[in-house]
Amino acid sequence: MLRVGVLVGLVLAGCASPGPVSLTEVREFADASAKLGGYAELSRRYRDTYQRELPYLSPQAERMARDTDAKRQSVFENFVAIQKTLVLYMQTLSLLAGEDRYDLSGRIDELGHGLGAVTDSGLTQRHVAAYAGMTRLLTRIITSRYQNQHVDTMVRDGDADVQALLDAMMVLTRIYEKANANEQKTVLGSFNADIPMANRTTDRMLVMLAKVHLQNKTAEYKLIDRRYKLAQQGLTKVALGHQKMRENMDHLSSAETRRMLAGYVRDLHLIRNALSDD
Amino acid sequence: MSTPSDSKPKQASGEASPALPLMTPREPAAAAQTTQPKPATTAMTAGTPGAVPQPAMVALDVANVARVDALSSVENVVELADSVVHIADQLHERILEEIACYQDRTMPDSQKAVMHALMDDELLLRQRAQALYAEATTCVIHGLDQPQRHLMALTAAAAEQIRHIGVIAETTGLVGEILSLVGGIATGRLSQVKAALDNIKLHHTALKALKPTPQAKT
Repeated sequence: MLRVGVLVGLVLAGCASPGPVSLTEVREFADASAKLGGYAELSRRYRDTYQRELPYLSPQAERMARDTDAKRQSVFENFVAIQKTLVLYMQTLSLLAGEDRYDLSGRIDELGHGLGAVTDSGLTQRHVAAYAGMTRLLTRIITSRYQNQHVDTMVRDGDADVQALLDAMMVLTRIYEKANANEQKTVLGSFNADIPMANRTTDRMLVMLAKVHLQNKTAEYKLIDRRYKLAQQGLTKVALGHQKMRENMDHLSSAETRRMLAGYVRDLHLIRNALSDD
Repeated sequence: MSTPSDSKPKQASGEASPALPLMTPREPAAAAQTTQPKPATTAMTAGTPGAVPQPAMVALDVANVARVDALSSVENVVELADSVVHIADQLHERILEEIACYQDRTMPDSQKAVMHALMDDELLLRQRAQALYAEATTCVIHGLDQPQRHLMALTAAAAEQIRHIGVIAETTGLVGEILSLVGGIATGRLSQVKAALDNIKLHHTALKALKPTPQAKT
């Protein structure tokens, strides 16, 4: 009885500080950001440009392409490192904003069971329920107050760098896209010129095979094109979402902020699904 | 950042940019199009007319001057690469037009050889552009070192804070376990007492392990 009274006191004291803050949307946003695909895959594709171009190059062009390939290989790890840093940041933010990790509901259920066994020791069922409820609330208040504060620090201190890294990823994705368009013209260009130049009577089979190949390659590049757009959209959403989160740090639990963040989460899921559909 | 390997390609693209107009077509029939390289080379300051639209690089309020410099050189290199691509595109168009003139007639071998020579030129131009794009990506990487390191430090600090939150959670759990233990004793359920004791020991161990983070108090 006395202990329950102490708990009530603690809970009331806890209520004086800012009320429980839900960081569900922050956590979901961080999760969705960490899981966003596209960039890593397109970085790898960019790294492997030479292999795809090789069959279509003249000896002279091939020598130049080999130098460029060496350069791509040498910086690839850096491209990946940018993304890894960002993913780690988002995962940590998610942990910090997460409730399940510190939510003691599992243990509290166990506790309720423990108390249930001692109903004849003076504690009634009502007390047991009240105790469990209060412990949960207390836990929430304590942990959410701390979590909120640290989420705050992390987002505020991290935003400028998060933006810088995301900006770099967007610029890189745009360059990948340009290099890919140029590669596409290298690959398809020779077919577009050589097919009409071929002798229709002697090269019939060759022309037919070339047309089939051209068709396949055209389809392949069309699919890839879409991925650059999606990846860029995703990065933009992450950048905007993080920026808005920083701007609204003081009223994270307001319905408006939560709705806004939920909107970014939804968009990121859509983009992720679109990326995995292809 | 990335060391000796990028000195060589850098030279390669360095000799490319001034020699750009010389590299372009051998132009036999392409006379009508040879005016093209001129607007393309000035495209570094103006925009290439009719070229692929250039999505403006997202300008962000980044205090890091080195980074801004790096990004503006990225812009320049990308623009240069774009204009080389544009010249290659023009050359390609010209080749296709020439081929189209023959319609149903078979092109003489001598003319085919000219076309193939032009196509090889186009390939070289495209590879030159690829080298420039690669050059641009290395510029992006320059100046990113600092933001990346700061973010790593921030992430490490947050991980430490998460450990601290773990301590608080353990403490709250402990209260419940003690209550459970007391209840167990009251009803004489020894099995429960044993379990509760083990749990409390676990909490103590966890608390000890996590202890050296006193600074994160508010």
